[in-house]
Amino acid sequence: MIHYIYDGSFDGLLTCIYEAYYRKEAPEKILFQEDDQENLLVRKVYIEQDKVKAEKVYAAIGAKISRNALKNVFYAFLSEQEDAGSLIYRYIHLGFKIGKAIDEHLSDDRVLDIYKTVQRVTKEKHLMLGLVRFRKLGENLYYAPITPDYQILGLLAPHFAKRIADQNWIIHDMGRNMAAVYNQKEWMITEMMLEKSVDIIEEERFYQQLWQQYFKSIAIKNRINPKLQKRYMPKRYWSNLVEEI
Amino acid sequence: MEILDKLKVLSDAAKYDVSCSSSGSNRSNKKGGIGNAHMSGICHSWSEDGRCISLLKILMTNYCVYDCLYCVNRSSNDIPRAVFTPQEVVDLTINFYRRNYIEGLFLSAAVYKNPNHTMDLLTQTVRKLREEENFNGYIHLKAIPGADERLIETAGRYVDRMSINIELPSTEGLQLLAPQKKREAIIKPMKMITAKLHEKGEEKKKYRNTPKFVPAGQTTQMIIGATPDYDMNILKLSEGLYNRYQLKRVYYSAYVPIGQHPSLPAIAGPPLLREHRLYQADWLLRFYGFQAKELLDDRKPNFDIALDPKCDWALRNLEQFPVEVNRADYEMLLRIPGVGVRSAMRIVAARRFAQLNYEDLKKLGVVLKRARYFLTCKGKYYGETSINEERIRYQLTLGDPVKKDILGGEQLSLFSVYPQLSPQKETLHSIVRDWS
Ligand code: SF4
Repeated sequence: MIHYIYDGSFDGLLTCIYEAYYRKEAPEKILFQEDDQENLLVRKVYIEQDKVKAEKVYAAIGAKISRNALKNVFYAFLSEQEDAGSLIYRYIHLGFKIGKAIDEHLSDDRVLDIYKTVQRVTKEKHLMLGLVRFRKLGENLYYAPITPDYQILGLLAPHFAKRIADQNWIIHDMGRNMAAVYNQKEWMITEMMLEKSVDIIEEERFYQQLWQQYFKSIAIKNRINPKLQKRYMPKRYWSNLVEEI
Repeated sequence: MEILDKLKVLSDAAKYDVSCSSSGSNRSNKKGGIGNAHMSGICHSWSEDGRCISLLKILMTNYCVYDCLYCVNRSSNDIPRAVFTPQEVVDLTINFYRRNYIEGLFLSAAVYKNPNHTMDLLTQTVRKLREEENFNGYIHLKAIPGADERLIETAGRYVDRMSINIELPSTEGLQLLAPQKKREAIIKPMKMITAKLHEKGEEKKKYRNTPKFVPAGQTTQMIIGATPDYDMNILKLSEGLYNRYQLKRVYYSAYVPIGQHPSLPAIAGPPLLREHRLYQADWLLRFYGFQAKELLDDRKPNFDIALDPKCDWALRNLEQFPVEVNRADYEMLLRIPGVGVRSAMRIVAARRFAQLNYEDLKKLGVVLKRARYFLTCKGKYYGETSINEERIRYQLTLGDPVKKDILGGEQLSLFSVYPQLSPQKETLHSIVRDWS
């Protein structure tokens, strides 16, 4: 049995696919972290990221399978799920055989597994488009802390760059110490750590109060249903909201 | 009055409006502007009652010259009143939007002084947002029945969606509970908007850059359970509104008892399950190719409390089942309980490559708990009872999850779901326990 180990980058993963293809190996697993268990039957192969090779695989997926498959692969990668690499490998392997029809083979586990993963990431992304809360820190500077399950910063940024295009803003993934930063022209992802929490200015407090008031008075008392509320908006997302629940 | 107090009063008064959807418009941002509308809509929070908060939903004012019995804002009701200035609404909207609290604004109003004065305030507000603030986010505006049509039309150029409330399902109901409102005054502007939308559609074919006019269409809302109308009449009304006026949505709002009056039903709580059944049936009209007359008729003018409308229909038409999933056409697949639009499409796509097994159906999103009584897979039937209406009905009603969800574990009281079944209004007071 062969396990490929890569550096956790998207290019690294694509390089693994390239190598598997050209070395004619069929890795059992593709992992970004070694699993601790030593196993005599497993041969570990460390794959080094190679931009050129990654680029080739990327182009091949687009051309030989479909653009949708490219999106699926990328979203599955962002799930950071331990077996994401292996699932992606199996999916692409099948895709190179049957081409763009792959996404209609939902009864095949290799496709279904990817779909389920992609769906989870898509769902969190869509939820976060609504739940991101910006705090105004100063003259036209807005800051939003988030703690998502998946690595979705890069999926959120384009939405806000289009929407609040005349603002400077930062979306901070506190768990991953990464941030998307936008300056009214373009956005980029950088590393970011905060020593202490941000200060809230008077104007910001005013609008937070208004929002809290609105949130409270919009609920219909005869219909209180916290279970339903939690189903749509799981509790783990509440900590970065402004509303007082 | 402080802005915080105004917000309290005027959001409190707006909350019974159910339509909070922000979908159906794809207005894009302009250079130097703020905001865009997302085609599929985005929820920004969920309030304690589990409803999606997408728009800043407020009234311009709750001062009202009318006295509709079912409404908290009726002139005879002694409550705190307030009125926003257009600028105040603009500031709230922009500042909430910049913080990503909302998708946009849903602005409505009680009838302040007179319909034209109110409509003018509303129009000023949306014009400011679009022209002064360069705001391109979503705006849903309630038009005021009885206002000058030119005012309504002007407002339509600035907003994404416009709605005029039907209020009650029947003219008699309107006469009884909202005598100052005339059906004509509601239908006329509705017609005007439909005609205008049609006209715009034609223009668009000729010129590429025709200015927008309510691109997300019009909707309406009616209150359920304040009048003794049957579900059948309500559904037929909706069907007519969809077909004749091309409405985008009809919203149903369970009547929340707010006062006692001989003309109002005495119910303990809003008929939520009935509202839910209507939404399910409405869905069947719009996406599943059903007609109102298939779902309800004179023999059965109201929906089953215990069973969703599609299961109920299937059970009354058992001779059309079971359906072989590997052969049935798309339209028939859609009619199988437990098969949704998405799973029906997936079935059609997947079976082109291979005959489907029973196990495959689950992967394609079919809810087998319901579906298994109504289909065969490669000729085999999987329901544990034979095809017999009574038996299947019994099986299906055992575990309907919906009831528990909606009522939050509340014990089901027949009258709370079907107030019109109530024997005598007077005696009802003593029969029904307090909701809370
Ligand atoms: S006109 Fe509207 S706000 Fe005024 S009482 Fe009637 S329903 Fe309520």
